Amino acid sequence: MRRWLAVYAVAFFAFLHLPLATLAVFSFNSSRFTVWEGVSLVWYRAILRDPQLLEGAWNSVVIAMASTLISTVLGTLCAYALWKRGSRLLTGALYLSLVTPEIVTGVSLLALFQWAFRWLGWQLGLSTVILAHVSFCLAYVVIVISARLRTVSPELEEAAMDLGATEWQAFLHVTLPALVPGIIAAALLALTVSFDDYVITSMVAGVDSQTLPMVIYAMARRGASPVINAISALITVFFGVLILVSEKVRAA
Amino acid sequence: MKLRSIFLFPAWVWLAVLFGAPFAIMLGYSFLTRGVYGGVEPPWTTENYTRLIDPLYLSILLRSFAMALAATGLCLILAFPAALFISRASRRKNLYLQLVMLPFWTSFLVRTYAWLFLLRDTGLINTVLEHLGIIRVPLPLLYNDGAVLLGLVYGYLPFMVLPIYATLERLDPALVEAAADLGARPLATVFRVLLPLSKPGIVAGAVLVFIPCLGAYLTPDLLGGGRSVLVGNLVQNQFTTARDWPFGAAVSILLMALVTLVVWRMLGREVEDLA
Amino acid sequence: MNRRAFVATMAGFAGCARDRRPRLNVYNWSAYIAPETIPGFEAEFGVRVRYATYESNEEMLAKVLTGNSGWDLVFPTHNRLQPMSAYGLLAPLRHDWLAGLDHLGESFRAPAWDPQLQWGVPYMWNGTGIAYNRSLEPAPARWADLWDARLRGRLTMLDDPEDMLGACLKKIGLDFGASDPETLRRAEREAIAQKPLLRAYLNAEVRDQLVAGDVLAAQAWSTTAQQAIDAAPRLAFVYPAEGFPLYCDCAVVLRESRRQRLAHQFLDYLLRPSVSAAIAQFTRTATSNAAAQALLPEATRNNPTLYPPAEVFRRGEWPRTLSPAAQRLRDRIWTEIKAS
Repeated sequence: MRRWLAVYAVAFFAFLHLPLATLAVFSFNSSRFTVWEGVSLVWYRAILRDPQLLEGAWNSVVIAMASTLISTVLGTLCAYALWKRGSRLLTGALYLSLVTPEIVTGVSLLALFQWAFRWLGWQLGLSTVILAHVSFCLAYVVIVISARLRTVSPELEEAAMDLGATEWQAFLHVTLPALVPGIIAAALLALTVSFDDYVITSMVAGVDSQTLPMVIYAMARRGASPVINAISALITVFFGVLILVSEKVRAA
Repeated sequence: MKLRSIFLFPAWVWLAVLFGAPFAIMLGYSFLTRGVYGGVEPPWTTENYTRLIDPLYLSILLRSFAMALAATGLCLILAFPAALFISRASRRKNLYLQLVMLPFWTSFLVRTYAWLFLLRDTGLINTVLEHLGIIRVPLPLLYNDGAVLLGLVYGYLPFMVLPIYATLERLDPALVEAAADLGARPLATVFRVLLPLSKPGIVAGAVLVFIPCLGAYLTPDLLGGGRSVLVGNLVQNQFTTARDWPFGAAVSILLMALVTLVVWRMLGREVEDLA
Repeated sequence: MNRRAFVATMAGFAGCARDRRPRLNVYNWSAYIAPETIPGFEAEFGVRVRYATYESNEEMLAKVLTGNSGWDLVFPTHNRLQPMSAYGLLAPLRHDWLAGLDHLGESFRAPAWDPQLQWGVPYMWNGTGIAYNRSLEPAPARWADLWDARLRGRLTMLDDPEDMLGACLKKIGLDFGASDPETLRRAEREAIAQKPLLRAYLNAEVRDQLVAGDVLAAQAWSTTAQQAIDAAPRLAFVYPAEGFPLYCDCAVVLRESRRQRLAHQFLDYLLRPSVSAAIAQFTRTATSNAAAQALLPEATRNNPTLYPPAEVFRRGEWPRTLSPAAQRLRDRIWTEIKAS
């Protein structure tokens, strides 16, 4: 049976990776169509010539960094507090937000922001997108940090406080360092989820907040284009490298 | 204890403003009437919910359920052996886990587009089959339920592998040995010992796959060719093309209710164990 | 060339941070402008244009409806102008700021949807018809030809309720803008009868499939069809004999805009014959600007797909705004067709 499992595993990993690998390979195809015509970087050059693509990528990066920062900080604090003493309401709400279909989250946030317009004169834009992203990233961060906290013994903090540390000092010097690998993992997860999001972002985006997934989707809707292959390859490589680097940092 | 309250404060704000308020607004919208050119207006009415009790919309809901169920089932069948393999790998468990997760780190949109690229009439699969002489006319692989199912399974497969792996990993290897000692063949061991014991992981994975598939919007949109309507498309349609926000809100609330129902029983302790 | 572009873009980003030029926010259909249009305007007027795109009128309306979306200019299709103005979303046009209105073609100076050109400046227009592969003998010439069984699996229709139902209505000889339930139900039956023959409901994506020869006939907008014909000469386009819709996208200034003068300057810039001609050539649409049309190369000017001759043009109609009740019924029927 061991052998069959190994054979299956090879097929399984092939199934997972071949579609993406194929996309990447054909991004170097000089022809628009699936007939191989020669190696070329023409589609990569086309990316650089498309201001919408570049602007979308930039917006995505800005939004992802901002929402990752905010949600990781808030999520870590929240997970820590829940670890000290749980709150079924908060935990339940966080899980629920995780499993809510994206389209429902998107339209309900749009409705919220439209009410915010009436009362606060706010506009759809970068800030609304970042808020929306923080909203759905929070649950991911809390789950990852909570899992990490399960491996931390509460006695350590008690011991620190017995030795005269305040609650804040105990958190800062005892628990937080132990959480660093978890924080990195949570931040990575939030970054990926935020960068990748299309449905929610398209609902709440405004004037200066067209993101990369929105641009890719618009291009895909106009027919498959090798430029998308090229972007996909770049995104895959980017995140692959990011994960590898983070793994090295974690292992270190 | 004061520190805890301070730390929790942003989370409570989030709960009220970004989770509770949108939900409340949607609930309110679902009882209002559609505005002339979009938006909502009084009077208050339950018409949107009574509209839902209609063979058309119930059939859409049923099809979405069936599609999500099929995707979950397929994910389970494909993921379990892989999870088993990784849990038994003596040396490179981490590497295999990374390999499973790597597609997940890539954009979901990109992964769905990959199948668009492969399944088109002029896509790779058809081109290869034609070159090999197996077919002469391209197969219509795209723009049907099968393509959507494939896209969903491909997108959510990692979510099924990880929880099952986590459970299998924690099992006492002595159990498998004991089964072997009692004369069970390997396949029997899998079905009668491992499968039942990995139930928590299976349940968690099933929930993590089923719920997003139920509300799927992107995959049917890109791979389905507009031939069928799933719940996700219905909601999006009501908020844009149909400009019927109250009805869209009602469908969303219904969807949320179903999701909460599924999660209520299934989630909770299981996922906390695995997280 | 690409290195220069890259450096220029990076410099652009760097400039972003300290940009004190006045801003103009333009929200347009995707692929509906030429690459040099915006940079040309930015250079000449010393402003920074924020440009984003949408795929459908409703997507744009959903953002604009609250009157606080942040956009200055949007481009609705002509039959959305009346609801938008009724809702108070539009700023009336200042003709004294729009000298270029004289350039507009005859049909667009006092159009049925806006006789005094009070709300929107006509931009680009197109019609819906049948794009097909010349290998089809005999060639399709009517909507009814799209119900032919020989097209099974090689046929697509537009993923748009107005166009799709309109084609069904025209096929049975009824009014494109019909709103009574009986008529619409008959159209629905036609649509459901056609569905087994269909490959999919596609909009612009069908272009590549027409070019590759996978799709033999498609209900398509003239723009998409022209782009396909450019890539594959064995394709052709026809405006059906029973009648067809014409759509004109109009540039409007939103009432919420705080840069009315600048917005009008952009509109006037778009009305310049050279600018309009460049856009029309690049995007392969038909321009409403007669002076621009005169600047186009002969082949394009007389292209029957983009600029149908008078007798064909007469068969077309500009769809009117539908009443809310009719809209609701059509939405329901559309869902029924898709779900069947």
